[in-house]
Amino acid sequence: MSSSIQTPTQVYEPFRAGLPPLISYWKALWSRRTFITEFSRSELRDKHFDSFFGQLWLILNPLLLSGVYFLLVVIIRGNSDSQRYVHLTATLFLFYLISNSLTGGVKAVTGGQRLILNSAFPRVMLPISAVIIALFRFFPTLVVFLIIRTVLGVPFAWQMFWAIPILLIALILSLGLAITISCINVYFRDIASFLPYLTRTILYLSPVLYESSSLSRRVLRFEILNPLFPLLDSWSRVLVHGQAPQMSSMLIALGWALVIFLAGSYIFLSREREFAVRF
Amino acid sequence: MNLLSVSKSSKTNEIAVSVRNLGLTYSTSVERRPTIKARAKSLGRGTKHTRVIQALKNVDLDVEYGHVLGVIGSNGAGKSSMMRVIAGIIPPTNGRIEVFGSVSTLLALGVGFNPSMSGRDNVLLGGLAAGMTRDQIEDRFEEIVDFSELGDAIDAPMKTYSSGMYSRLAFSVAATVRPDILIIDEALSTGDAKFKEKSLNRIKELRSDDRALIIVSHAMGVLREICNDIAWLDKGTLVQRGEPNATIDAYQDFLHVKRSAASDEDV
Repeated sequence: MSSSIQTPTQVYEPFRAGLPPLISYWKALWSRRTFITEFSRSELRDKHFDSFFGQLWLILNPLLLSGVYFLLVVIIRGNSDSQRYVHLTATLFLFYLISNSLTGGVKAVTGGQRLILNSAFPRVMLPISAVIIALFRFFPTLVVFLIIRTVLGVPFAWQMFWAIPILLIALILSLGLAITISCINVYFRDIASFLPYLTRTILYLSPVLYESSSLSRRVLRFEILNPLFPLLDSWSRVLVHGQAPQMSSMLIALGWALVIFLAGSYIFLSREREFAVRF
Repeated sequence: MNLLSVSKSSKTNEIAVSVRNLGLTYSTSVERRPTIKARAKSLGRGTKHTRVIQALKNVDLDVEYGHVLGVIGSNGAGKSSMMRVIAGIIPPTNGRIEVFGSVSTLLALGVGFNPSMSGRDNVLLGGLAAGMTRDQIEDRFEEIVDFSELGDAIDAPMKTYSSGMYSRLAFSVAATVRPDILIIDEALSTGDAKFKEKSLNRIKELRSDDRALIIVSHAMGVLREICNDIAWLDKGTLVQRGEPNATIDAYQDFLHVKRSAASDEDV
């Protein structure tokens, strides 16, 4: 038997608790970026979002939702105006980007069970795909919002470009939430049934059905604990009122997004190597 | 890792996989489906919610190029766990595994992770997850469809597939990718007699092609025919390793199973 002095292409050894080597993890993740786009595309196709009526539903669904909530606001307050409706649609659509990331993320890892049991790849690809899917579903609603805004005669302003950094912060937050919840779901499979209560609570605590200016100072003080509050507040200021966002809100929103993203990624990455034995 | 690295001229008898002192212990939940409810119950009763499983103990194993290693053992002997450790899916608890070459990580159940997608999408996604590029997969697509004999069914959702079609596609993917090291877990009993013959021929072809094959199966007749080597695992330890007929005979004596037709049948 000829023994060769070649170097192994792969070495597998016991791992210490904590993070995997981040550079090689990132390389493996980056080399599989086509998986993420392809996976999102086929998931969307699977839900018929490539057909005319599928896309119509993508737009109709948030429109109907905003209509229902607007009805609620009108009944509770007794009166309303177009500005309020524009605010409601703007914030509701961004809220649904985050909440769709959560509901898509919760089954991301457990739904990929077969793939996880049979191939070695960075598991974080699965929750990332869930966020990309939520983003694909968000873009048409953004267009709908801009149309509503124009039709109702809300003036445009260059400050609206602040929406781009706010959207980026929202994406970091969505990624963090999807990564965290997908990991928790491996250990507690019934977490999905608690999600509707969680998202509903966050919705009512966030400035969607009302504007932050209508809240009392006492309540506002506690809203620093809601990661979505500064985000949705800034979003409304920028896109509805055409004003620059408050820097303090932006920083709090960014801080929350980074904390959730980093903590979630740490939990996920240090746990993902044992996902395969948890199925 | 690239699955399609060019094979060197002759690698026969060179080491493909070296497993040293491999141990695998893990804890998993007692419940089949761990939930908050179940955890709360076990807290209330003071029972444990996880159990520790020692899947592999002190396994030493070398696989050489140009050889076919069959892995046998009763259910729960640790065969699949060992395959997953070699493929890098589960990290070992003790020991060291060195792999010299590309491993096909498309094990038997690798394709079809999403039953509502078509066979085509599943093959593409499985390949992309394993680190192949889209071009590499598309180049082989024709061959995969031809080999699996699925025809138009490749574009139907995988939930409409029969179990035979399912495993035919899985085997076709694994065998067409042409990795240096191919791991086949319980996928030999695929479909009808005709396809079985065809897949056996493909395995022999790969063997003469200087690749390393590791086959987990309960089909003793097939293993006697195609393997150069058999490793017998029991309760996580390597009991015997050696010449196919002798090892399989010892295993069957151990099981008190006469070499009847039934034990040679594929399960």
